[in-house]
Amino acid sequence: MSSGPDETPRASFPSGLSHRRLSRRSLLVGGVAVAAAALAAGAALFRQRDARAREGAAVLAMVLPDVDGRDTALAQWRGKVLVVNFWATWCAPCREEMPQFVAVQTRDGAKGVQFVGIAVDQVDKVKDFVKEIRLNYPVLIGGFGAIELSKALGNDLAALPFTIVLGRTGEVAHTQLGQLKAAQLDSLLKTLLA
Amino acid sequence: MWLLAAPAFASALAAGLSAQTKLLPPEEAFRLSARALDATTIEARFDVADGYYLYRDRIHFSLGPAVTLSTDLPAGTRKHDEFFGDVETYRGPVTIRVRLPGATPAGRPLVLHADSQGCADAGVCYPPNPQTLEVPVPAAGQKPGAFVEAAAPKKSWFK
Repeated sequence: MSSGPDETPRASFPSGLSHRRLSRRSLLVGGVAVAAAALAAGAALFRQRDARAREGAAVLAMVLPDVDGRDTALAQWRGKVLVVNFWATWCAPCREEMPQFVAVQTRDGAKGVQFVGIAVDQVDKVKDFVKEIRLNYPVLIGGFGAIELSKALGNDLAALPFTIVLGRTGEVAHTQLGQLKAAQLDSLLKTLLA
Repeated sequence: MWLLAAPAFASALAAGLSAQTKLLPPEEAFRLSARALDATTIEARFDVADGYYLYRDRIHFSLGPAVTLSTDLPAGTRKHDEFFGDVETYRGPVTIRVRLPGATPAGRPLVLHADSQGCADAGVCYPPNPQTLEVPVPAAGQKPGAFVEAAAPKKSWFK
């Protein structure tokens, strides 16, 4: 450390400025730096919050056909804690976790939780499975746009299951590649419903 | 409130992503190569990486979308599936005979399309994975051609 904060200014201002003044100056510079760092950290948090809000808005902007071909807008569930689960019948881990979603929809539906399935699959297979497990929440058929959205949210390989949880204000609160464990889902919903 | 919540969300998100970064892309998890044994038979080979498996009944070969090719798929490991009944899966290397509808003229490579779908033991499944191979066909009476690897994957399986 040969060029500490006291030495550099002294070289720049060989006459007139006292050592004390220089120290104060460097303190000031330091203070500004700390404030700038705090601002930058704050800005990063804002950006992150912004990104979560933007991603959430993109999810809520989706309009997808249901199993009978009727267009369904996710925006109708704005204000709910929305659990959007990408799945397919050809994905065994997906099918395994869905009965748990059915149970939580029953338990927490009245508290403001809404599950929505987005099936990356053929409609007839989806219909069969929905009937078989008595699915109690809507299933929509996800095409190219839905897959691209899941990729944009961090699921580059478009693997399944992939679940996005939105808070009541529409921000992305959690994304999960692979199964969402019951305890994890419960604590997430508890926080978001509070 | 968000000041407190944001870092928690960030770590939750990171947890989801880190699980993903360990996943191989499908073309590496299910490495595909093929060679022509003669003008009417292709030998295709999947090298399934450790910790991954392919579904036997979701493997299809075709010449373009219109011509589905018949295959000799070896028996896989039988596994009971509550929805689909018994399903068979492949792990490790698996060799599949693919029959061409007629003799292919030598000299021009045959464009073989393969579709496969598999999962990782980590608990995720990949969407159907279309791949294309350009397989050189040997002239009549010549030795089988060399194995060729599948071309780089298409950007999206919907495109």
